Amino acid sequence: MRMLLVEDEKKVSELVARALRAERYAVDVAGDGQSGWELAEAYDYDLIILDLMLPALSGAELLRRIRRKNQQVPILILTARDATEEKVRNFEAGADDYLTKPFAFAELIMRVKALLRRGPVTRSSVLRVADLEVDRFTQQVRRAGRKIELTPKEYALLEYLAANPGRVFSRTMIIEHVWDQSFEGLTNIVDVYVRHLRTKVDDPFPVKLIRTVRGVGYGLVESAEG
Amino acid sequence: MNTRSLSFRLVAWYAGVLTIVFVLLGVLTFFFLRHYLEANLLDTQARRARQIADTLVAHASRGGEGAMLTQVENLYSPEANDRFIRITHTDGTVVYTSGAPLDGRFNPQQVPARAAGDDVGPGHKVRLPGGSLLIAARGATGTDGTRYLVEVGASGASTEATLTRVLVMLAVGLPIAVCVAVAGGFVLVRRALEPVERIARKAEEITQHSLSERLPVVRSGDELERLSVSLNHMISRLEEAIHGSKQFVADASHELRTPLTVMRGELESLAQDGQLKRETREALGSVLEEVERLGDIVEGLFALSRLDAGEAPAEWVRFDLAELAATTADQMSLLAEDKQVSVACESSRDVTVAGDRARLKQVVVNLLDNAIKYTPSGGHIALSVRREGAYAVLDVTDNGIGIPAEALPHVFKRFFRVDGSRSREQGGAGLGLSIVKSICSAHGAVIEVMSAPGRGSTFRIKQPLARDAAARPS
Repeated sequence: MRMLLVEDEKKVSELVARALRAERYAVDVAGDGQSGWELAEAYDYDLIILDLMLPALSGAELLRRIRRKNQQVPILILTARDATEEKVRNFEAGADDYLTKPFAFAELIMRVKALLRRGPVTRSSVLRVADLEVDRFTQQVRRAGRKIELTPKEYALLEYLAANPGRVFSRTMIIEHVWDQSFEGLTNIVDVYVRHLRTKVDDPFPVKLIRTVRGVGYGLVESAEG
Repeated sequence: MNTRSLSFRLVAWYAGVLTIVFVLLGVLTFFFLRHYLEANLLDTQARRARQIADTLVAHASRGGEGAMLTQVENLYSPEANDRFIRITHTDGTVVYTSGAPLDGRFNPQQVPARAAGDDVGPGHKVRLPGGSLLIAARGATGTDGTRYLVEVGASGASTEATLTRVLVMLAVGLPIAVCVAVAGGFVLVRRALEPVERIARKAEEITQHSLSERLPVVRSGDELERLSVSLNHMISRLEEAIHGSKQFVADASHELRTPLTVMRGELESLAQDGQLKRETREALGSVLEEVERLGDIVEGLFALSRLDAGEAPAEWVRFDLAELAATTADQMSLLAEDKQVSVACESSRDVTVAGDRARLKQVVVNLLDNAIKYTPSGGHIALSVRREGAYAVLDVTDNGIGIPAEALPHVFKRFFRVDGSRSREQGGAGLGLSIVKSICSAHGAVIEVMSAPGRGSTFRIKQPLARDAAARPS
């Protein structure tokens, strides 16, 4: 998988590129709109990540040009602006997804994966993390074969964490996915739910699955080694 | 009536000056007229005295004094003409005194005799019980050398009557004239100051959110035009300044995002490294928490600057505020439970409002979150939504620690904290209530807060019901 990253903030582009390369993606980086356009013209990318504020050629213009040439390539917009009309305008111009700075890198990786997964993807209805089973179809949760009763919100939280085991999600990300944007900034609600989830999912068992990374957020440990 | 108003003071001064001028004019008129009339009358008497002196007294010696007197009586018939005639010798002996006039205005016998040797003056006034008498005197020398003094007088009654009439006319006419002039002046002042009233009213209407409006300018070329034009210039400068500061907040929060992204990205990737020492991980976590809070503040400021800029809401739909409140309260119940605070939601059905659902939900979330934060365990929070006339009223009441009276006017200000420590340790950015207020203003809603320290607070939002829902009976 090869992707193009057009971002003029050198530090941001380095970070993003590093995070993507860690996921085994090949990443080309362009520092301005013009060189981004040259790269996009020359190669067929699987995904393009685009900053809107670019020197030489604006991100919006670059977006239009790429879309004229290639209708298929998924494009993820990266921006510090988040005025709603602008979002709508860019979606109309052919953006597939939108991420507002400051974003969590886990979020970026998830969105990239989601964009690349588009099309016919067979998804198993049961998520398995160690001895935990989350059935997306029946919304039932079992651990070591024992059924665990969860409230709908607890279930949604657990399913979100279990879908990407090993990854740590920021509380803001969890809020956005499990609650809605009205709860933005109300991150303590996540702590409360995680605590409740722990008493049900982890407390009765010797191996603890829910992991806290201070300052970053929560996740499920991938393998139950500790 | 406002006695300090410009129009009142102008009219009062005007009326005062006018009254003084009118009274002076009246007094002058009166005295001038009296002087003129009396001089005139005296003049007539003086001429008559001269006639008598020249024609008769000069010939007195011819027919003797008796003949002269008969002639005076015949020619001048003083009684019929209401005149007073007296002829005396210079030594004071009276030769002739006319009889009482027919109208009985005066008694000639009461007229004091002229002292001998009196100069023949222009005339004088004698006060008698019946009225005044104006007397002119003339000296004459008979052919025999006898010196006479001829006095001719006339009653000043008619002059006085005229003067009285003039006085009455002035006394009645003056107040009327003043009244009319004051009324006219009042109308004029009111008309002249009416634009001031309009400018003041419009100026009161212009708020921080309607600075694009201007005061009415009447192209009259007068001082008021200048005033309204210069006030408009001032509003323009104000608008620029406020716009500039808003733009600054928007730009600053925008510019802060990229560095925050980098900081957060670097720190996150570091924090997930399992090889770190425990203290290092703790320190990293602490820094990340602060970065997150900084991010929250930046987001909050950005959201506020967008609301201030009057950005059109993402959606404008009709929905049931009661239902929204109930759902939100339910979603947050665990947060309250965790703190052992109970949340009761009581709402009448079908309180339809129009607006941005997500933003109004944020209002409810922020208010409930605040209430939970500041209510100690065992406390109670009540959320209620009801209709009140054409308004939807949402109350969030808690029995928590409350807000001191001196802090109440400031709770909606950005970064305001009742006391430095109490909300910082709760992790608030200090922007929650400002955002609530901005969202409310964008929806035409009013928010107010009532609180008693130690007894709890109530936040009340009054939002107009959606148009046709208001017409339906509740």
